[in-house]
Amino acid sequence: MSTVATTSPAPPRTDFLRSLGSFPILGPVAALILACIFFATQSDRFLSGANFSLILQQVVVVGTLAIGQTLVILTGGIDLSNGMIMALSSVLMTGLYANSGMDPYLAVLVGMAVCVAFGVVNGWLHTFIGLPPFIVTLGTYSIAYSLVRIYTTATITDVPPALNFFGDTFRIGSTAITYGTVAMIVLYVIAWFVLRSTPAGRAVYAVGDNPEAARLAGIHTGRVLIAVYTIAAISYGIAGLLLVGRMGVGDPNTGQNGNLESITAVVLGGTSLLGGRGYIMGTLVGALIVGVFRNGLQLMGIGSNYQVLITGVLVILAASVDYLSHRGK
Amino acid sequence: MRAATAEGPGKVLLEMKGIGKTFPGVKALQGVSLTVREGQVHALLGENGAGKSTLIKILSGAYAKDEGEILWEGKPVAIRGPEDAQALGISTIYQEFNLGRQLTVAENIFLGQLPRKGFRVDWKTARARSRELLDRLGARISVDAKVERLSVAEQQLVEIAKALNRKTRLLVMDEPSAVLGEGDLERLFEVVRSLQQQGIGIVYISHRLVEIFALADEVTVLKDGRYVATKRVADVQMDDLVRLMIGRDLKDVYPRRATPAGPVLLEVKNLRRPKLVHDVSFHVRAGEIVGFSGITGSGRTEVVRAVFGADPHTAEMTMEGRPYRPRSPKDAIRSGVALVTEDRKGQGLFLKLNVAVNTTISAIRSVTRGGVIRRAKESALVEKMIRDLRIKTPSARFLVVNMSGGNQQKVILARWLSVHTKLLIMDEPTRGIDVGSKAEIYQIMDELTKRGVGIIMISSELPEVLGMSDRIYVMREGTIVGELARGAASEEAIMKYAVGGELAAAG
Repeated sequence: MSTVATTSPAPPRTDFLRSLGSFPILGPVAALILACIFFATQSDRFLSGANFSLILQQVVVVGTLAIGQTLVILTGGIDLSNGMIMALSSVLMTGLYANSGMDPYLAVLVGMAVCVAFGVVNGWLHTFIGLPPFIVTLGTYSIAYSLVRIYTTATITDVPPALNFFGDTFRIGSTAITYGTVAMIVLYVIAWFVLRSTPAGRAVYAVGDNPEAARLAGIHTGRVLIAVYTIAAISYGIAGLLLVGRMGVGDPNTGQNGNLESITAVVLGGTSLLGGRGYIMGTLVGALIVGVFRNGLQLMGIGSNYQVLITGVLVILAASVDYLSHRGK
Repeated sequence: MRAATAEGPGKVLLEMKGIGKTFPGVKALQGVSLTVREGQVHALLGENGAGKSTLIKILSGAYAKDEGEILWEGKPVAIRGPEDAQALGISTIYQEFNLGRQLTVAENIFLGQLPRKGFRVDWKTARARSRELLDRLGARISVDAKVERLSVAEQQLVEIAKALNRKTRLLVMDEPSAVLGEGDLERLFEVVRSLQQQGIGIVYISHRLVEIFALADEVTVLKDGRYVATKRVADVQMDDLVRLMIGRDLKDVYPRRATPAGPVLLEVKNLRRPKLVHDVSFHVRAGEIVGFSGITGSGRTEVVRAVFGADPHTAEMTMEGRPYRPRSPKDAIRSGVALVTEDRKGQGLFLKLNVAVNTTISAIRSVTRGGVIRRAKESALVEKMIRDLRIKTPSARFLVVNMSGGNQQKVILARWLSVHTKLLIMDEPTRGIDVGSKAEIYQIMDELTKRGVGIIMISSELPEVLGMSDRIYVMREGTIVGELARGAASEEAIMKYAVGGELAAAG
């Protein structure tokens, strides 16, 4: 931004916060770097390739769920059903093979198809019945939860080798990295590119900022919303696949906190819950912040209950900075 | 003409001297001064973006000033927040009221300072005192009415009563007339005059010059964040103020229309919308500006939204002789029809997105190759629009929410000029826009017609309809009741049709 006139020599504190508003990604990145520096001083095991690879593995599932969540939140919605859609897809993908003897690739396709169905239903109920996304996805959360339970209450351990692929590793130097990590990063890059550089991405932001203005500007808002909920659900299905690869089992008890954890990543990444403003890469950084804190606190010997507490504090801090940096605009 | 001016000046309440305020990238105010006396109505005049709002926000404690000093009754004071302003006796009534909609009138008037009797709220006193304040304003509103049930004018009175209750000595009113209809305006004037009689100093913001001449004792003019002049209203003419405010004469506002009308562009037959529009037929020629006049609610907006495909309707329409059946705005845009909505912020702009995105949203395919938006093409288009329409913005990446009304309207125009618009529909194109930007928008409209664009303009401002239109349709109760050629049109003729005189045979 060009400076029209010279500014006064001592800008007040709020100007710094305001300038954060112009480069929203800087805040989360700075927080991530500061956290890394802090933990590096606290534990000599923190700064190692193996540890960073572990952190990435730990955030892969939530990170992938959060891609869909970011898309939905950018349109001004929210998706509470994402973790359970993931759980449903993961038990179907494993169970259809283990219990019904289905071809593993076909089982994956069926799992993904179920995700698509959930996404279409979420989007359709929101768009054509006009229900708020909170209500719609609260309902589909429960439906998916119970479908998982109806299908199986036992952990599916007989997982075909093909589904373990995303848990497999390759080496860069001495550091082992999972294909799941790579898959997540590739998905982020694709989402980033689409949001930033395609008409569809523009439409997502426009609908999130002002749906009526978007319609009057020639955007089919209904189609955009249904597409967003559907594509989001596909990302939950992929998250299910990555989950199976990472855990090596199909677990019916998973996914219940996926919604809140993914929203945490989105908020830490600086995306506004009001829609129309936010950055997908911020979400990746947000997920990493949570991962770094968990890992770092673990290394410091601080128990998991405190880790969750600190995550809560982080969310409130991040939201406060975001609020202050946009106040008065 | 004014009684209060003859009584001589009261003692000085407020002096703001050399006030400056900088936002990142923008010097919003520089060296601005304002002096207000007891019992004086001091008008603050300037175009949108001139700095009026920033100045009063500093006065009310919403912003901190970067430079200058504020004196209250001659003594320097620091206003660090709204509480400081209130403690001095400064109250501000913004355009958007600060009322609890679910609360009663009395509760709102006493919000945050309800009288107590022991541990209990003393409702009796609160209600009695509210009644007294409202009576002082001549307001016949029940103190027990819920605010959401009141009209806008009544809510404004509640705001004023609330201010009086706080022992206000200086009342700042930010465009109080903008939200009112004609009938309520006279009431507002009476209230302002009675407050003045009670010795309250009033800062009155408006860009309607007529009001300033009807009400104010003195006027301070701002332009581009700078102080221009302070004048006694008795000493100046309207033209002088316009010149101070925009730096040119009022009569140059409307361009001289000399574009010959071309072939019929849009033909509408029997347009119907249940209960809203009954059998409306009209046409627009290329290069023509067609005005739609009529009172609010006469169906003008409903007609043009149907033509734009935004609402369900039945009609036989043609564009350039070909059948035209828009089922969505997208269809309409594809056929070269564009709509500038009446509600710029609610239905037009993406406030949190930048100028570039707002401009190219409808033309995005034209800067896309192989599914990817080409930044260079997009920037070239946006920069051209910023230049051609003289949009005042630090850059194409500036957020639209931070722009003035006139510039926001130009961004919407830029959007429609970025697609091949043949018929431009403008619903109240200059509402809430300052005189300078108005003139520029009229200029742009004139330019467009020279390129063969047809324009439908809905306007409730008769001078605007008369000044710009080649032909005028007048609507009443969902039908077109009259058609007037430029030469035959006058305010009287339009009003006769609009309100339904006996001469109103359908045209």
